[in-house]
Amino acid sequence: MTRLVLKRLAYGLLTLFVVSLVVFLATQALPGDAARAILGRDATPERLEALRAQLRLDDPLVVQYGSWLAGVVTLDLGTSFANALPVSEYLAQRAVGSLTLMALAAVIATPVAVFLGAYSALRRDRAADHATSAATLVLAAIPEFAVGILLILAFSTGFLHLLPAVFAGNGQAVLEDPEQLVLPVATLVLAVSPPIIRMMRASMIEVLESEYVQQARLKGLPERTVIWRHAAPNAIGPVAQVIALQLGWLAGGVVAIEYLFGFPGIGLALMDAINTRDLPVIQAVTLLIAAVYIVVNLLADIVGLAANPKVRVSAR
Amino acid sequence: MPSTPTPPTRPPVRTGPSRRGLLKAGAAGAVVVPALAACGGGSGGSGASVANRLRVGVAGGSAADTLDAHQPTDNTDIARTHNLYSTLCAFGTDYSIGMALAESVESNAEATVWTVVLREGLTFHDGSPITADDVVFTFRRITDPDAPGVNAAQLATLDRDNLRVVDERTAELVFTEPYVTFLDLVAEYSTGIVPESYDPDAPIGSGPFKLVEFTPGQRSLFAAHEGYWQEGMPYVAELEIINFPDETARVNALVGGQVDVISQLPHALIPVIEANDNLRVLDSETGMWLPFTMRVDQPPFDDVRVRQAFRLMVDRQQMVDVALAGYGSVGNDVYGRFDPAYHDDLPQRERDIEEARRLLAEAGHGDGLEVELVTGPISPGAEAAAMVFKEHARDAGVTVNLRQTTSTEFYGDNYLQWTFAMDFWSTRNYLSQAAQGSMPDAAFNETHWDDPEWVGLIERARATVDEDERADLIRRAMEIEYERGGYIVWGFVNTVDAFSSRVTGFEPSVTGHPLTSYGFHRVRIEG
Repeated sequence: MTRLVLKRLAYGLLTLFVVSLVVFLATQALPGDAARAILGRDATPERLEALRAQLRLDDPLVVQYGSWLAGVVTLDLGTSFANALPVSEYLAQRAVGSLTLMALAAVIATPVAVFLGAYSALRRDRAADHATSAATLVLAAIPEFAVGILLILAFSTGFLHLLPAVFAGNGQAVLEDPEQLVLPVATLVLAVSPPIIRMMRASMIEVLESEYVQQARLKGLPERTVIWRHAAPNAIGPVAQVIALQLGWLAGGVVAIEYLFGFPGIGLALMDAINTRDLPVIQAVTLLIAAVYIVVNLLADIVGLAANPKVRVSAR
Repeated sequence: MPSTPTPPTRPPVRTGPSRRGLLKAGAAGAVVVPALAACGGGSGGSGASVANRLRVGVAGGSAADTLDAHQPTDNTDIARTHNLYSTLCAFGTDYSIGMALAESVESNAEATVWTVVLREGLTFHDGSPITADDVVFTFRRITDPDAPGVNAAQLATLDRDNLRVVDERTAELVFTEPYVTFLDLVAEYSTGIVPESYDPDAPIGSGPFKLVEFTPGQRSLFAAHEGYWQEGMPYVAELEIINFPDETARVNALVGGQVDVISQLPHALIPVIEANDNLRVLDSETGMWLPFTMRVDQPPFDDVRVRQAFRLMVDRQQMVDVALAGYGSVGNDVYGRFDPAYHDDLPQRERDIEEARRLLAEAGHGDGLEVELVTGPISPGAEAAAMVFKEHARDAGVTVNLRQTTSTEFYGDNYLQWTFAMDFWSTRNYLSQAAQGSMPDAAFNETHWDDPEWVGLIERARATVDEDERADLIRRAMEIEYERGGYIVWGFVNTVDAFSSRVTGFEPSVTGHPLTSYGFHRVRIEG
């Protein structure tokens, strides 16, 4: 199994390399360069020339990419074009902010969704099950951006005035004012939960109908033991994959949510960097998001393998 | 014109941490006795201040945010620059120029040497005195060829190696050519005076607020500068400027009470704010214009009759009503509306489709004409104006094809090359605007305007120190642009901002910069 993990890690690194190359080329294809984007309307030829020289934008593309890659290999992400700060320093606080948001969403969404899915399966074809099904279907169909807008309307600007609509606090310490995190986290939770709930419900129903559950019941075990000891652990295997996919999605989905709530994380930094053609920052953020995605999927695979003796043995 | 500094007076010599320039009656709000001062607690030597934080949501901002006094680009940069730094002169709310850090700024008879005398007792944020050396350093820094400032192009004729320090408070700035609009320049926010030890990463200025904390792309925090040259100001103890690139988020933050003030309220949301008893709208007429630009050296616009016809097609009032939701005023194809020399006697150009058709036929386009208009989200209302123009032109038999671009593409490599496009310009006096956008050597001559008679008039005006004589030359130049220029100046745009009813002291200003030119020193906030 170690070999498998190592192989997957190698593929992961290759993926990251390809991502960085594609992002680099895509950024070059955008109209205008960083100097123009940064100086904007006030770009005189003299100022453009001075800034281009300073940012070394006139070097051939191969040289630009090569020097960036050489830096990354030595764990130096380069310097932001837009604000001349080292990228790692510029992104550190933002990454912490985004990870806080994602971690809160994951920690809340996963158990709640798993429980709701299991509960729906137990209450199959009753009112609670139908209500959950309808709600998850609707939520899965609405883009998370729209869900966020609806939450803002409902809880901060429209009907109720309970929660702040946007983040207007200190980006250095996002937990300082937890009220401001409620709506973004709630939006993310609503966005990632539906597939987990549906998968858990389906998986649980399948398990409940299996022969060993029947056997356990016939043995006279209490229903609680049947469900939480025998059914649920077996139902969770396939769900783990979905959870991983959803958590991987969080890394990318957080971009739109951060924009909507003005939350100072890597998502907002990415939007910003694209506007200013700030290549080192774009590269760093996309690599970070891709890395999270790869790692989460790898972990899910490992959990899946560990939970399944047949695969565990054959993969050796 | 409350924000305009009064003529210089000798400052009283005081003991204590700060010596201030002069005592003056401030903004309308300043007349109110600061009854709430008590709740502020002691904030250094400035007992009259309400120790409170003003939180401002400013449109825009990005990771490229800067604190550099001479490199501001985006709105949030401009907002910070206005508050961190002071300039030699300053524009009033009516665009008149008053003295700020300078006690006087006077030229020799040829306008080639400008003598700046600083007020007495001025201090930077770190308490060090402001001297003539700092003035010379500032102008050398703006014109540094390795990192030219926003205003470097307007200082191209500065003889930067021959600037002179006469005494502690007096500097002489020398130009290779006459420069009559020097006062306009030194009133621009991007010419703030900085100390010789200036470091943009830990910026020291002499504006009403000094820097406490700055996170590019997010927010900045400032504290009142006790030694600010305007006596008694600022009234708030702390200022927080928060970036809001998204307009919905900006309005939500105001409605939700997370900020006290926002700049640039979208037109569609004005009724929402007006209906809220706790919020106020600040509507300011300005000299900001949103022209259509016709290249006078490219067909079909190289024929003056086509340009005249296009100007006659526009229903200006309708364009203001539709594209600007009525928050603007009609233009007359001449910019610089707040220039003291502005030509008010030119008849207002009205829509005349018949005359437009006749001119087009004369120019050989009797069977119709097809043109491409390049537009994009360069300024609120720009794309809407392009669509309205398309409709207006149809009535005169002209087919307009809209070419949508992003603003990065619009201001990319083809900017200044588009045959028929749009642009936006802030409030400027006529000669300053001509130097930016209309003279053959201007950095942004987008219409490729090069009329010899007009250029001759401008060159003469630039060398004419006598104001009446210069005004006469300017009016004649305006007549020429009114007759045959390459701009369609259909309207001037209002700036509309919003703030909480707890905030007092803002007033309309024609400068085109939101929130009384980001004049947070004049503002009070109830606790």
